[in-house]
Amino acid sequence: MSGLRAWLIDPAPRSPMQARAGQLWLGWLRLARNPLALIGLLIIVALLAAAALAPWIATHDPYAQNLAGRLQPPLSPGHWLGTDEFGRDIWSRLVHGARITLYIVALVTVTAPVVGLIIGTVSGYFGGIVDTALMRLTDIFLAFPRLILALAFVAALGPGIENAVLAIALTAWPPYARVARAETLTVRGADFIAAVRLQGAGAGRIVVGHVMPMCVPSVIIRVTLDMAGIILTAAGLGFLGLGAQPPLPEWGLMIASGRKFLFEQWWVATMPGLAIFIVSLGFNLLGDGLRDVLDPRSATR
Amino acid sequence: MALIEIDDLHVTFEAKGRPVHAVRGVSLAVEVRESYGLVGESGSGKSTILRAICGMAPVTGGAIRIDGRALAPRRDRGFARRVQMVFQDPYASLHPRHTVDRTLGEPLAIHGLARGAERGRRIVQALADVGLDAAFRFRFPHQLSGGQRQRVAIARALMLEPEILLLDEPTSALDASVQAEALNLLSRLRAERGLTFLMVSHDLAVIDHMCDRLTVMKEGRAVENLDHAQLARHDMKASYTRELFAATTERIAAAE
Amino acid sequence: MSLLEVENLRVTFATEAGPVEAVRGVSFRLDRERLGIVGESGSGKTMTGRSVLRLIRPPGRIEADRMAFGGVDLMRISEREMRALRGRRIAMVMQDPKFSLNPVMRVGAQLTEGLRLRDGMSAREARAKALEALEAVQIRDPERVLDAYPHELSGGMGQRVMIAMMLIPEPDLLIADEPTSALDVTVQAEVLRILDALVRERGMGLMFISHDLNLVARFCDRVLVMYRGRIVEEIEAQRLSQATHPYTQGLLGCLPKIGGARGPLPTLARDAAWSE
Repeated sequence: MSGLRAWLIDPAPRSPMQARAGQLWLGWLRLARNPLALIGLLIIVALLAAAALAPWIATHDPYAQNLAGRLQPPLSPGHWLGTDEFGRDIWSRLVHGARITLYIVALVTVTAPVVGLIIGTVSGYFGGIVDTALMRLTDIFLAFPRLILALAFVAALGPGIENAVLAIALTAWPPYARVARAETLTVRGADFIAAVRLQGAGAGRIVVGHVMPMCVPSVIIRVTLDMAGIILTAAGLGFLGLGAQPPLPEWGLMIASGRKFLFEQWWVATMPGLAIFIVSLGFNLLGDGLRDVLDPRSATR
Repeated sequence: MALIEIDDLHVTFEAKGRPVHAVRGVSLAVEVRESYGLVGESGSGKSTILRAICGMAPVTGGAIRIDGRALAPRRDRGFARRVQMVFQDPYASLHPRHTVDRTLGEPLAIHGLARGAERGRRIVQALADVGLDAAFRFRFPHQLSGGQRQRVAIARALMLEPEILLLDEPTSALDASVQAEALNLLSRLRAERGLTFLMVSHDLAVIDHMCDRLTVMKEGRAVENLDHAQLARHDMKASYTRELFAATTERIAAAE
Repeated sequence: MSLLEVENLRVTFATEAGPVEAVRGVSFRLDRERLGIVGESGSGKTMTGRSVLRLIRPPGRIEADRMAFGGVDLMRISEREMRALRGRRIAMVMQDPKFSLNPVMRVGAQLTEGLRLRDGMSAREARAKALEALEAVQIRDPERVLDAYPHELSGGMGQRVMIAMMLIPEPDLLIADEPTSALDVTVQAEVLRILDALVRERGMGLMFISHDLNLVARFCDRVLVMYRGRIVEEIEAQRLSQATHPYTQGLLGCLPKIGGARGPLPTLARDAAWSE
């Protein structure tokens, strides 16, 4: 352990890998000083664990109906979070639903920020007509409320998780493009960019190798903070019946089905609501912590 | 024929909708293996001339020739292998998220030179040439002092083995003792490699120490051309040069 | 009793790699005189100046056996009492006026703000006083400067405005941290002359922090040379050329001189013993 530590904080790393690992370690130390960020991280880790270990953590089959034991209140024998209108165990459905939530989160993260990063950096680096065209396109997407635009996409593409994700991704990239462009504009005139241009580097190399690494931290922070909104949009689409389809244990869908019993059997809608709330909070806390670690402006020279 | 010829150069920027005439008809010629200085205060246009040579400032009149040939409107890779620049602020001129290894390897990668182990060898050699140990190879800029960063910046400029080095206030961000080391390093490298320097500074003493000939600039114009011997004899004509000279010597002579 | 007494001042920063000591046991006294503090970057000179005003942000920590200003123990008093001292009895001029003046407020508003809020002056009185202060730093058309925004002023002009602003409350001690380093050489001399005259006339104490040994020597009565958080030498400014410490000698020798030899410049051979 102490050997690994020494390797990580070695002021004279012997390989690029060691240099990067050392930087990650320092980042982790900085993050670890922020208790709220650690709570956020803990929530995300718990979500990951729940998704990975769902079959073992769940006490019941999430699809198994038991009409005799329907709408059992929380803490009833065998169902500590109660059952829904078909007698399905809510805890088991929540645990399996974590997989769907993660699936949506993962799909959105690998699409929207990447598109936004490319459009933003290209727009910011080249400026002029390219910038105007790309930014007006961004403005058009930004002008629509996200849920409405997503609704329109799903209505055109048909309901389902993949289409919901596609719709969210298509509506989520403009803010990342804006963030990346703003960052690019501050970096574009920097001496280190002038230096590499002077070495004969082409635009592609500069944008990918030199501009993007400077924009990635801001985009990551933004994505983490947006994750709550993405989960809520996905849940919203599920709630409206345009995302995941029954009987999938998607959290938004679960809230929708619990709506009918909200006053008498409150737990059916509340439990998935709490799950969404906790996971969103986790991403927000982590995002705030990451901002302190990654933001180039807060880093000391 | 001079290596760098600048003929009646004009540079006009657009700043806040108003044109700013930063360089107003400056001419100079730098011979092969010469060290030439541009000295002036902030806003004199001295750095703008270097940027104009590199194609980073809008030239609105006059000509810049290297080896008698006018520069193409876009500086190509051939230009990069002949002319390199060292920037003023070593905190801003190194990519904050690239290791020294990546920074020094980048010019080689761009020009497709020295792959694999050979590239590593060249990088270690370049570090040694500027007096840095191989242990610095995988550090990030923020793990280096100002003087070490500027050495890395000098090493980077020399990776492509250029003949001309443009030096934009290379030591003004450094402490006095570190400045001395950096100036000594530059002098040594110039002697070893037969480099041609075009150096910009606000400090007349630094320019005098480093350069054979110099041009004093003020508000975009060349006030006076002097050589080392003339400066040593205080043989200057323009009153501005005298003022600059007095301010510089006064500062240095105080302790003696 | 001296105006300022500092004994065994330490400034420590907690970092990921453990505590870093920026100032390591510095002691000095300052009367109504001009004291220079000289050192290179990282020598702790700026931190020493800021400590006097307790302007060190966490994770930095100030410790001292004693730090007294006019008999008041600066280590003991509350933050509220400290605020009453800052600006009013101890003022500070920083390196770059661009970062010290509020860019969206007219100079006049910034100069008179303190007078009106703290001293309860009327707008007219405060403006008259501000004009007087600008005249004292030899600004020729003070009316125009009062109505200007900071970005409309040149560097030298901005720094003079800063000095005027700091001197309005007539402080007993002025801490000037590299007040001319951001200025052109021909402007530097003038700003220094103004600062010098004001300090003499008003009998203030001046702590002049700079990396430039020669500048400090010309301008101060006494010089403290700092290296790695410690004072390695204290010397009368006029006797600087007889400095004994190799670090001080090295700093004096490493500057190029006009008409000097073209050979390599002498460099500092740093000795680990200096920081002991």
